[in-house]
Amino acid sequence: MKLRGISYIIIALGVMLTACEVDNYEPPKSILEGHVVYQDQPVGVRSNGVQLELWQPGFELFQKIPVYVAYDGSFSAALFDGDYKLVRLRGNGPWVDNTDTIDVQVRGNTVIDVPVEPYYTVSNETFQASGNTVAASFTIDQVNASRELERVTLYIGTTAIVDVNNSIVNVSLNKDAIADLNAPINLSLELPPNLSGRDYVFARIGVKTSGVEEMLYSPVQKIEL
Amino acid sequence: MRNIAKYIIFSVSLLSLSACEKEEWLERDAPNIVLEEQVWNDPKMITSLLANYYNRLPAHTSLTTGWQSFADYDEAIWSGNGEGGNNIVSYNFDRWRLWDYSLIRDINLALESIEKYGTNLSAEQKTQFSAELRFLRAYQYFELVKRMGGVPLVTTQLIYDFSGDPSPLQQPRATEAEVYDFIASELDAIKDNLGNAGSNTRANKYTALALESRAMLYAGSIAKYNNLMDAPITTPGGEVGIPASRAEGYYMKSLEASEEIINSGAYALYESNPDLGENFYEAVSKKANNPEVILAQDFLTAKDKRHWFSYDNFPRSIREDNLGSSAITPTLNLVEDFEYLDGSSGELKTRTADGSDFIYYDNLDDIFADKDARLYGTLIYPGATFKGLDVQIQAGVKVWNPATNSYETVESNDLGSMYSDGKLLTGAGGPQRSQTEVTNTGFYLRKFLDPAPMASTRGIRSDMWWVRFRLGEIYLNAAEAAFELGQMDKAVNYVNQVRERAGFGPNSLTSLTMDRIRNERRVELAFEDHRVWDLKRWRIAHEVWNGSTSNPDAMMYALYPYRVVRPGDPRNDKYVFVKLVAPRFRAPRNFQMGNYYSSIDQVVLNNNPKIVRNPFH
Repeated sequence: MKLRGISYIIIALGVMLTACEVDNYEPPKSILEGHVVYQDQPVGVRSNGVQLELWQPGFELFQKIPVYVAYDGSFSAALFDGDYKLVRLRGNGPWVDNTDTIDVQVRGNTVIDVPVEPYYTVSNETFQASGNTVAASFTIDQVNASRELERVTLYIGTTAIVDVNNSIVNVSLNKDAIADLNAPINLSLELPPNLSGRDYVFARIGVKTSGVEEMLYSPVQKIEL
Repeated sequence: MRNIAKYIIFSVSLLSLSACEKEEWLERDAPNIVLEEQVWNDPKMITSLLANYYNRLPAHTSLTTGWQSFADYDEAIWSGNGEGGNNIVSYNFDRWRLWDYSLIRDINLALESIEKYGTNLSAEQKTQFSAELRFLRAYQYFELVKRMGGVPLVTTQLIYDFSGDPSPLQQPRATEAEVYDFIASELDAIKDNLGNAGSNTRANKYTALALESRAMLYAGSIAKYNNLMDAPITTPGGEVGIPASRAEGYYMKSLEASEEIINSGAYALYESNPDLGENFYEAVSKKANNPEVILAQDFLTAKDKRHWFSYDNFPRSIREDNLGSSAITPTLNLVEDFEYLDGSSGELKTRTADGSDFIYYDNLDDIFADKDARLYGTLIYPGATFKGLDVQIQAGVKVWNPATNSYETVESNDLGSMYSDGKLLTGAGGPQRSQTEVTNTGFYLRKFLDPAPMASTRGIRSDMWWVRFRLGEIYLNAAEAAFELGQMDKAVNYVNQVRERAGFGPNSLTSLTMDRIRNERRVELAFEDHRVWDLKRWRIAHEVWNGSTSNPDAMMYALYPYRVVRPGDPRNDKYVFVKLVAPRFRAPRNFQMGNYYSSIDQVVLNNNPKIVRNPFH
């Protein structure tokens, strides 16, 4: 009798604990990836700050899919196959607003580059460490004259993610202090004691355009000390 | 025999078919349905409906709604269970979103019904109730516009005609200026009809003026400071952003409203307690005989209208329950913004001038001597008491090591534990670096904590009120508006009255700067749901909270007191203080441009194609 009771319980448990194999939907598998580019070069931004929007019309749920741009200008999203519309959110990145929609067809893994027009770019950047001093030299190129330059900043950090929010030390040069925008600009700073003992640091130049929240950054560079 | 059965069946069926003569049995009023005619002809029912609407007025942070968000800015951090607001990497764009048109609809419906059904009401009653409803609607529109920018101005019921075309119901957003103008014109129109004189829980004339004073100040500063930004936040249709030319007009309206309240004599700054610190606490947190409070959301334990705020935020060492406590703990940032009474910067002096050694204090609270009395009234600092009880705030001891010629720090995980010299090691009230439900900053909240016996227990709970408007704010509104209008004497005079109550003595200031007014608002109105809105309208939130770990305004600091163990030395048993980033604080405050106006829900945009999005999202 007792044994029979236990066997009932086992059968009941067996029924309750098993489930159908098929569970909901397949997760999205197609990867949409690419870079935000200017003249085929990726545009460096603050990580987790700049956002592109994906919209997929034709379904009852019409909500944007935010796609964040990584520090090196790359982005990626896992999606279902389908037709999407990619929008460059106004006032969001360090570039001129462009509300033209980009149609994206996702069929399996898809690569797409998003062209933007920055206000300023950084080029010919070189970094040099001598003793406790890190010196940077670079040129600023004006791409769009509609907004003024506010400042340029050299950021130093201990990880590859270096930006206005993530830096150990930084030094800035305001627009007023820049005599000639076309000439190379030099910035240098002293490493604080907690950095000078390290083997390497990461450095990056940021350009702040007046009235634009996000800054444009040069590629991150590792500097051996 | 069969016949008898027949008779019985016949008579029973006859009985069951007969009915009572009393007709009222069938014509009673249903006990669970109230008809429109009944509601709108009964002042008591209308009043209870109004109570419902008052209760639904939104607040970003109050004692009941979103109180946890007190710990999300630069007034406090979270020391309760979980992470609270200590790791907000950046504020979400929908953080302050509000699109509550259900309250607007209920008020519009009430305004129409009172005219339609209210036949037994006197004309006077009708006007008064309508005025009160319109006050509530103006209040709700102010809450909407300060979060979302311009919103559709709906002032009548919207009724769908089932024609398949909803476009008559789809209203575009009014401009931000139009919404502020609407609020002003509504308040001007109703202020003399409100009645309720002397009430501080229902709107009267001065409540309407107080709302006007605040709303017009917001409008004026948005008009001024938005246009001073490098790139003003605007939309082409004006849904967001007010032209700079409107600033002066708004400031003047605000000043007029403030002065009408101040000059009326209907309210006075609370000055009943000769102990200035306790006096300031009572000015906000004492319900009886309070001449300062203009409008409050009241609670009453006896009627089971009560809240958990004291349970959640009571100081750990004197909590009356065995759980809870200490969730919202003020930061050193706020403490240091309270000036010294001689008018100097409020920065606490923990190190000697050359930075070589600690400054040694005989008592824990000596470091706070000669500070603005509002410091005591707003929060509990080391050495201060609440309800006459010692809160015992001490992080640990600093033991002198002669061999290394330096101090070694000893802290304990056991609150209230003793050091080997038989004296206190870590206080019963912390601070403690990693534990929850004990202060992490070295301070506890005082404002809005309920001193009533057992008010911090789960069984009794608290009926402390939530102050929406009080005269202290009106003085500062007047000062700011006067300052912006260049009326310097007036501005200085109004700020000085508030400062005098805080112990600064008469006429403590002879000149003013905008920074001074801003700081005055920060310390006077801390924990009253002002800080984030003030920073927004001055358009400095993105600079003050810029998300950088190197920005001392974006990082939240703590103050840890230690007892010195140095036997045989005169410094033995004195107290030293260490400033540090609050150990449980994780991410610097990060306010982005897209936070100035909250995002509109995609569902709203999908349903109404006339609604334009706010900038940056």
